[in-house]
Amino acid sequence: MSDIRDEMLRTLDRIVEANLTIAEREKADGNGPSAKLWAALTEQGMTALGETDSEIPFADAMALVARSGYHAVPVPLAETIMARRLLSRADIALPEGSITLAARAGGQANLVGVAYGGTAAHVVVADGDSLHLLQVTNAVVHNAYNQAGEPRDTIDLGKAKTIDRKPLAHATDVLIAEGALLRSVQLAGALSRTLEHCLTWVNDRVQFGKPIARFQAIQHAMAIMASEAAAARAAADMAVEASEKQADWFAVAVAKSRAGEAAGKTAAAAHAAFGAMGFTREHPLHYSTRRLWAWRDDFGSEVIWQSKIGQHMAAKGGENLWATLTEMN
Amino acid sequence: MPEFKFEPVTMPPEAATLRAEVRAFCAAERAAGTFTPALGSMVEANPSFSEKMGARGWLGMTWPKQYGGHERTALERYVVVEEMLAAGAPCLAHWIADRQSGPQILRHGSERAKRTIIPEIAAGRCYFAIGMSEPDTGSDLASVRTRAHKTDAGWKITGRKIWTSYAHKAHYLIALVRTSGTADQRHQGLTQFIVDLKSPGITIRPIYNLYGGHDFNEVTFDDVFVTDDMIVAGEGRGWEMVTSELAFERSGPDRFMSSYPLLVEAFNAAGKTPSDAAAADLGRLVANLATLRRMSGSIAGMLQAGLNPATEAALVKDLGTAFEQEIPEVARRILPSEPRAALPDDRYTALLHKSQLECVSYSLRGGTREILRGMIARGLGLR
Repeated sequence: MSDIRDEMLRTLDRIVEANLTIAEREKADGNGPSAKLWAALTEQGMTALGETDSEIPFADAMALVARSGYHAVPVPLAETIMARRLLSRADIALPEGSITLAARAGGQANLVGVAYGGTAAHVVVADGDSLHLLQVTNAVVHNAYNQAGEPRDTIDLGKAKTIDRKPLAHATDVLIAEGALLRSVQLAGALSRTLEHCLTWVNDRVQFGKPIARFQAIQHAMAIMASEAAAARAAADMAVEASEKQADWFAVAVAKSRAGEAAGKTAAAAHAAFGAMGFTREHPLHYSTRRLWAWRDDFGSEVIWQSKIGQHMAAKGGENLWATLTEMN
Repeated sequence: MPEFKFEPVTMPPEAATLRAEVRAFCAAERAAGTFTPALGSMVEANPSFSEKMGARGWLGMTWPKQYGGHERTALERYVVVEEMLAAGAPCLAHWIADRQSGPQILRHGSERAKRTIIPEIAAGRCYFAIGMSEPDTGSDLASVRTRAHKTDAGWKITGRKIWTSYAHKAHYLIALVRTSGTADQRHQGLTQFIVDLKSPGITIRPIYNLYGGHDFNEVTFDDVFVTDDMIVAGEGRGWEMVTSELAFERSGPDRFMSSYPLLVEAFNAAGKTPSDAAAADLGRLVANLATLRRMSGSIAGMLQAGLNPATEAALVKDLGTAFEQEIPEVARRILPSEPRAALPDDRYTALLHKSQLECVSYSLRGGTREILRGMIARGLGLR
């Protein structure tokens, strides 16, 4: 791990520790981003990462995104980093503040389910072969929230103000792949946190006269969970490595498929291990597991990406599968 | 929190050329009718194919040249192994010798063992079996009862080993044997011996598997004489030897590529434009395979760097064998499945049936799923 990355991750840990109390999490949940956390991140320069000529390498920015997934931060940090990457690639001047991103896939008038769309200063929208930078202050027609209480808003494109637009080849596909990459990386972080919650719990919780960690059934459930987390992380790392310049769709498809599968299995196993305590609002487990369920659906669920991989390979023919896999690295 | 990381591995520059060579070789051998793609390394043996691999320098690749090796990297060996598996090439004959027994003897064997055995393995002419399990000793390996008694000239072994794959055709077997103490003393007093399977006193009896195939054997030792210099590492170091083999035994592509030829056929059988549901089923397998390749390659890198990633290897084997076992389940689901016998030209059904029956063993051999999960749990600090 590079020194700069290590330092950045430790800084994020400190910011979260200082600003993201349970009360602050609850205030943001099903409401809006934590302004306090966002201000602290901005002060440390973390909301100004992502542009292609940044001195912070893409892999380091994605390590920060993974850590933000681990911390389940209720702010559009990941979206802002990725939006800046897209804007700088299309040669659009980078605005200040939070930016989110959305794809206009079928020429629709409204963008539905835009992450933090109601509060972000700007939205990057991909439409066919062009990239748009919009201001949407007066264009938010509906505020909604996903399972994790994160804003997923509806924006009326007719009411949005265009700040700039530039051509970007296959912008819609590129943005969806970049978004899926983002969520895969965040999922890897959230899986790690979920496992950590579980290990703490099974070591502390005493039943039948011993910590439940001593029971083989629990040990095996934790082993499976650790394997799923490791696989998701390996797949996400592989996608980040392949996507330094631009999202590599196949590597991203693998990552979103694998991380999405791990998310469902892990959330279920975590709640099984926790019993009723994990079903309470009081225990912080749900900040991670609700995000596992939400993020696995964003920018294409694992089933959609698996299907894309399957169709791609079917068209190429089984005999070409191996060459495709070995070309990945 | 303990976390298992699978860093990217940088392949040496020679790997790309090597990969192309191996791929072309397998294609040519297949075209010449030497083999039709079978389920993995551990099903089909073909000694003349093994000798061809030896002649090309693809066995004993990492071993010193003075013992017939080729002093290449573990990562280049990894490339050869995975290409063979992807091609479904018949590698059973040399598999254990090249993967496990050879490296063990090179590191811990006597000079005579190294000089007489290692060059023969590298040439593809010498094959090994592993004698660990016994009738009353499966996962609880430390409870072995086969014993060796010291004599003036060496040792005499008496006892029984079971589930010894390929013993009926192998030249040697490495046996885990008790040389002192009792089974209660567990990991103490165990020793590994290299046993020539033609020695007087050895009886090999086939144990047929559920589809009638002959891979397993029962090997009986009746006062079988072994010289001192056929001990691996030293008297009493058997347990240490067994555990140090495991990272090599468990993390390789043979732990997730066994059913690969069926996956290829499943794509072909599904056609160019499968339903989205079938495509998702198959695509999920591809995503899992790509991830396993990354993890396994990463472990090859750790081994190359001299590390002993035993827990990571257990984790990859557990995920890998589950993946191999899922392939026939998916393959039968994506096509209209009706009971039918495999017709001579119906490769798909033939592979599917064979795979379904064969894959039962994948999560048993080389450490059961339950043992592996116990190891991972230990790595997590839970035991």
